[in-house]
Amino acid sequence: MSSWLDYTINGLIVGNVYALVAVGLALIFGVSRLINFAQGSIYLVGAYIGWVAVVQLHTPLPLTIIVVAAAAALVGLIIERFGLRPLQNSVRIAPLLATIGISFVLDQLVMLTFSPNPRALPSQLPDVRFQLGGGTIGPLDLLIAGVGITSALLLFVFLRYSKLGWAVRAASQDRDAAMQMGVDVNRVNQAVFGIAAALGGVSGMLVGMYYNQIDTAMSLQATLKGVVAEVVGGAGNVPGAVIGSLLLGLVESYGVAVFGTSYRNLFAFLLLVVVLVLRPNGLFASARQAPPEPLTGTFIAPSRPVRIPRWALAVAAAGFAILPLFPVSFYVLQTLINAWLLGMLALSLTLVAGTIGQVSLGHAALLAIGAYTSALLSLALSVPVGLAVIGGGLMSAALGTLLISPSFRLRGHYVSIATLAIGEIVSLVILNWESVTRGPIGISGIPPLSLFGYDLISPSSVYWFSLAVIVVLALLQGRLLTSHLGRSFRAIRDDDIAARAYGLSLNRYKSLAFIFGGFAAGVSGGIAAHLYSYINHETFNTQQSILALTVVILGGLGNVVGAIVGSVALVGLPEVFRIAAEYRILIYGIVLLLLVRFRPQGLLGTI
Amino acid sequence: MTNSSPEPLLALSNVNTFYGQAQVHFDLSITVARGHIVCLLGGNASGKSTTMKIILGLVKPRSGEVTFDGASLIGLSTPQIVRRGIASVPEARRLFADMSVRENILMGAFVRNDRDAVAQDLDRMLTLFPKLGQRLAQRAGSLSGGEQQMVAMARALMSRPRMIVMDEPTMGLSPLYVDRVLELIRTINQEGVSVFMVEQNASLALEIAHEAYVLQTGRIVLSGPARALKDDPRVRDAYLGGSEAA
Repeated sequence: MSSWLDYTINGLIVGNVYALVAVGLALIFGVSRLINFAQGSIYLVGAYIGWVAVVQLHTPLPLTIIVVAAAAALVGLIIERFGLRPLQNSVRIAPLLATIGISFVLDQLVMLTFSPNPRALPSQLPDVRFQLGGGTIGPLDLLIAGVGITSALLLFVFLRYSKLGWAVRAASQDRDAAMQMGVDVNRVNQAVFGIAAALGGVSGMLVGMYYNQIDTAMSLQATLKGVVAEVVGGAGNVPGAVIGSLLLGLVESYGVAVFGTSYRNLFAFLLLVVVLVLRPNGLFASARQAPPEPLTGTFIAPSRPVRIPRWALAVAAAGFAILPLFPVSFYVLQTLINAWLLGMLALSLTLVAGTIGQVSLGHAALLAIGAYTSALLSLALSVPVGLAVIGGGLMSAALGTLLISPSFRLRGHYVSIATLAIGEIVSLVILNWESVTRGPIGISGIPPLSLFGYDLISPSSVYWFSLAVIVVLALLQGRLLTSHLGRSFRAIRDDDIAARAYGLSLNRYKSLAFIFGGFAAGVSGGIAAHLYSYINHETFNTQQSILALTVVILGGLGNVVGAIVGSVALVGLPEVFRIAAEYRILIYGIVLLLLVRFRPQGLLGTI
Repeated sequence: MTNSSPEPLLALSNVNTFYGQAQVHFDLSITVARGHIVCLLGGNASGKSTTMKIILGLVKPRSGEVTFDGASLIGLSTPQIVRRGIASVPEARRLFADMSVRENILMGAFVRNDRDAVAQDLDRMLTLFPKLGQRLAQRAGSLSGGEQQMVAMARALMSRPRMIVMDEPTMGLSPLYVDRVLELIRTINQEGVSVFMVEQNASLALEIAHEAYVLQTGRIVLSGPARALKDDPRVRDAYLGGSEAA
């Protein structure tokens, strides 16, 4: 039985690790007003470079730290120069999306180079523990604390006394004014990305040594934890990020002490949501508020969408409808079924992100709610599957909207963070609520799809069913967009203050969008549950949320036909070219990057 | 390089600027002679602030030429332009709110590397703006509007510029400070710094300026020596026309 002091020490050590990530995020946010979703990937890269250095090159510890910091800084500089600088004059959502794409690419490259299997990263320090009061502390704990404190001091000296440090501070307070003092903002960005990446990389290496294990799943977790710590401390506030990190480490550690290990992340994300709702500028925001997001021009501007005549759409739908009558392989139908299911999620996201402008990064949670509801209704309450799927849609609409509602008062990047956290919370509740969701074991033996008592087992019947559902949803959504309601949604996206001045209630319209979107996503999840016959808390993950976002941007934000075309393209093309599964995520990341850079309005144009 | 008609320090010639489809400037031509105070007058949305941004390289014109001391500024970045010797007092001051007053003033010397001379210049600023002496350690964001304007002007002077561009330096100030600011602009000018200022308050600006231009929806409708324009009824008409349109 560990003592409370042990939990406190552990919390502070983990907090130090988070601080190394969060400080970098805060620096970048300060200068660029950007949440760098690739920060965790740099942390991952740092861990693997550390592994190469320690295990293959046998470097001594001080040299390992230097090698990792330098290599990670180089990655940071490359990201800034080639990933983000070209987007300087684009809309504000573009760099955010680019960092998501970059993180996919980096994670996959690491995975392809080193295989997804975990590796041991041995600590280069003697394995002894010293008694400290009622607890114990080891040399690695001291190293982590030392690195954390030293970095904080160096950073303080840099920001306070060096010329470049002054430039960083000035640019983070007023970019244009700093330029008018002769500050080269590109150099400031370089400096900030280099520092952030060096700290993040070292942090990844230290964590690898701390747990004596590294694997590619570290990346997203690190980004999430860093973002939580940074937002808790106040976005862009460097000392706040340190305190937020230590607080997060302690909250997690005590949470684990009381409830068990599987609750660690739940506490982190609940802390984030509570802070976002109660003090969106962080716990330590001074009286002066952080500069507000610009009211207009945040979003990818509506372009001239490609007009597709109705008859052409009807012909296309009819063509897909009669497809199973031809001798096509099971494989083709299966691929298209996947495309229709992803398409439903994309319809939902294109409405929420494209039409009303709330870029949700937690959309897979809506799938999970629909899937679990439908599975449990049919299994535990013997509800007919057709009704159960609709029940899944309704539950997703209701519960999803309720869960997202705390984020309605947020704007821009904060919405993305909040939805990401809410998505993680849903997955963690599913994991921990064993009496209902069967926890980590998942739900197996889910009955197949059926309609009016007839089981839909053959591939063509499942194909027709999902095609029919997506056509109905698309028609409804198309109708919605041309209605008064659709116009109100777009007004809120384009300028929420002006929309409010015209008497539109933001909460009501955002709720309506999430209700409609939640239903479509829930139905998709419900159908998927009955197709897979087994689901668990990881079936619907953040990767799917990001894939859906890529689909939506590919098709054109807000564009109903685009969402479906994008799904078919992203699900179908890798199949056509027989691209191995492990390269697909890499390709999705590259597609996202290229789209943001060269065609932000997507294939069919934003609406 | 002195000849019979001295080359102007700053010259905008036939500048056309667009924001997307909308044209902001129509063949705009303005010159600032060495050692002069030139003011650009105009109502709301006449394109005054955009003119400032063109000079500072924050907005690129679609066509036309901007030269400073005979060399083109087109294609240079804002920091490069600042290094050529143009300092800015931006609209609404734009101080670095969380940095101290001292740090703000020293940020103005960012382009300089002569530390000792910078320290001397800081002392000189405190004689020029005595009130700032007791405020040096304070957060710039905590100052009053008038004090902030003093900091912004001191900050601009710290780069030892040949020209200062000012965007509405009297905006939002109490009458007491308005007089003080105008007096300081005159003092700065007498020390050899040329001034280009954008103002809404025509009568005040014309009191200290040598030349003035009146801008109306992107076109220069009137220009000449400030003394002559001061009593010209057309200045008032240009304003009224502008405000009727707005």
